[in-house]
Amino acid sequence: MTDILSKQATAADIARSVSSGKVKASAVIEATLKRIAAAEPTVNAFTDIVADRARRRAIQIDAGQHRGPLSGVPFAVKNLFDIEGLPTRAGSKINLDGPKARRDGALVRKLEAAGAILVGGLNMGEYAYDFTGENAHYGPSRNPHDPTRMTGGSSGGSGAAVASGEVPLALGSDTNGSIRVPSSLCGLFGLKPTYGRLSRAGSFPFVDAFDHLGPLARSTKDLALSFDAMQGWDPADPACTDRPADMTVLSLEEGIGGLRIAIAGDYFAKGGEPEAFEAVATVAKALGATRTVVLPDAAAARAAAYVITAMEGAQLHLERLKTRPQDFDGDTRERFMAGALLPGIWYVKAQRFRRRFRTHVLKLFEEVDIVLAPATPCSAPKLGQTMMTIGGVELAVRANLGLFTQPISFIGLPVVAVPTRVQGAMPIGVQVIAKPHNEQAALRVSAWLEKQGVCISSPA
Amino acid sequence: MTDGKKPDTMKPDIAKWVDEASQAIGLPIAEEYRANVILNVERSLAIVQPLLAVELDKELTPLPVYRP
Repeated sequence: MTDILSKQATAADIARSVSSGKVKASAVIEATLKRIAAAEPTVNAFTDIVADRARRRAIQIDAGQHRGPLSGVPFAVKNLFDIEGLPTRAGSKINLDGPKARRDGALVRKLEAAGAILVGGLNMGEYAYDFTGENAHYGPSRNPHDPTRMTGGSSGGSGAAVASGEVPLALGSDTNGSIRVPSSLCGLFGLKPTYGRLSRAGSFPFVDAFDHLGPLARSTKDLALSFDAMQGWDPADPACTDRPADMTVLSLEEGIGGLRIAIAGDYFAKGGEPEAFEAVATVAKALGATRTVVLPDAAAARAAAYVITAMEGAQLHLERLKTRPQDFDGDTRERFMAGALLPGIWYVKAQRFRRRFRTHVLKLFEEVDIVLAPATPCSAPKLGQTMMTIGGVELAVRANLGLFTQPISFIGLPVVAVPTRVQGAMPIGVQVIAKPHNEQAALRVSAWLEKQGVCISSPA
Repeated sequence: MTDGKKPDTMKPDIAKWVDEASQAIGLPIAEEYRANVILNVERSLAIVQPLLAVELDKELTPLPVYRP
């Protein structure tokens, strides 16, 4: 029996206990704030803690208000989400001079409407242009499983806060892998939903064509509970779908029967450390998956995602690059500047290729329901490490931790990153990829792997 | 040219590219940032190669998003 006030408690555990009256939301919040205070000197996950607000909300929940499927669940959000009364940092120093948010971001409001309680904003790589979780202004988020190592980014604080057990649930954003990379390096479950599935209103953008928001947690059920609470059309985000919500929690126990599961070959079977492919093999074996499929031109998809990201990101920040270059993180500034100088024909070709890649991959999903691929080419590098050697080739850490995630978000497919861990080693994740709007299938696979004990996430 | 390689004159001068393009778009790049911007343009040029190598049908257009 899990102690509800301990770091092991999941969101589902807490919601069940608060809803049944076994524990007060106020007690959950006090225990959470105590854990955060104890863990922060090591993990540096939070940039803002909204303790008074959280305590007030907990009192209201204990009085019978705001009850829902996430009653009393503490959560935190990457600091690119608007939090009423705070500047939306987006990992930057520059944004501290901007306006304070007049209200919470859409997904914060939706989670609180379901009974969850916001406890703070989380560290991240500057303006989300990051795969490491490092930040020159606020210090790096540190991997709770080994604080000398990276969390992965850019949702590094989200990874650290959940993996340390500070909170059971965090929100992140994923443009090229920023939920899946920290999930992999921190040993978490992470959901990058279909592009347009969840509203991005009230969050600081990076690359409109690829920006997704989603949850990180230590159980599949927590992903599903929060995902279900956050679905729904929002006219404030032009990309947000008006499809009806597809509730996922009730299908988690359905198992994997009827799902055609394959392994991504070719591009996704090389360019990583052996541990990345061993993780995929472990998951595939448990699922009985033997078929290999090829996502054609995945290397070009990665290149196209890179170009669109560099150029849209540079356009977004051009004015700041002109007027306040000295206030950028040195690790993002020159990459943004370089992005401003790339030829427009690359961008147009990348967008044209995106259409073709989408067509080919959707065709592939007529034959399979799930594709497995590595989440990262390696487990967590050391903090400050700039180069890594993979397969005898020296590569830049920042540009390459997202090698396997970029081609997937490029066309907006839903993915659950599931954790694997060999005893004595750092965790590493596997992408469970489904066709658009079929988050349910990916979550079913994740739940099954968790139930079989193949993919387990425990707080450090 | 008989060996299929580009002559050196075809190799882009990235430093010149950075200096002239930044001037053209009015983005001042301080001397202390310049070398790293050049490095990042070089990296971009390497990373984009698989995309540039793909041949696309002439009729293929980007996915439409504009709706009047």
